[in-house]
Amino acid sequence: MNNRTQWIAARVRWGWILLVAGVIVAGVGFLLERAYASLPYNLRIITGLGILMAGVGISYLVRYTAALKDEQSARRLSAEERDERTVLIRTRAGNRAYWASALMIYCGLMWASFAANGGLPDLSGDTLWYFLAACVLVPFGVYIASLLIDQRNF
Amino acid sequence: MKNRLEELRGKNGWSQQELADRVEVTRQTIISLEKGRYNPSLTLAFRLARLFQMTIEDLFLYSSEDDHE
Repeated sequence: MNNRTQWIAARVRWGWILLVAGVIVAGVGFLLERAYASLPYNLRIITGLGILMAGVGISYLVRYTAALKDEQSARRLSAEERDERTVLIRTRAGNRAYWASALMIYCGLMWASFAANGGLPDLSGDTLWYFLAACVLVPFGVYIASLLIDQRNF
Repeated sequence: MKNRLEELRGKNGWSQQELADRVEVTRQTIISLEKGRYNPSLTLAFRLARLFQMTIEDLFLYSSEDDHE
């Protein structure tokens, strides 16, 4: 088994692990929802996490299982995923997204600190929700924009 | 950094995709290398040099201006 095949086989293994773990987590979440319906927590988050894991696992299996059987597609897939220019572009995008995320969280932390001292108004539940949603979406947007820009620059 | 990739690829009659397959990168990387927009890692530089049976210095043309890239 050559290095490339080993790399693809490892991806297929991860696909199975994620699928099985996802089914288990989703199943546990579903059972907990039924058994402890009166709890003030929304246990659907566990079911959702399980479904997400299973979905990622299935996508890995679909993408890499076919490549295990066909040398040419294994070569292409391996080149696409491990290509050093692609890795560089993703790394730069990840770095920028990290700084965007850190900046937003720092601003939120400062707001919360000033609000605690009465220097700024408290964030209402709705505003906090929008702020947290932005903390997820803005770094993601920075990541995508950085990918697109660096695809042209490099 | 300037290089002789396009010239050598043409001499061998390879397409960009064929060269990409031989050194296990994407075609986009070969395009970027040929245009001088992207400088390869040492590993890729060695792979390319070995493929064309020459030294890295013969394949990639370094000048002091490249220090500012």
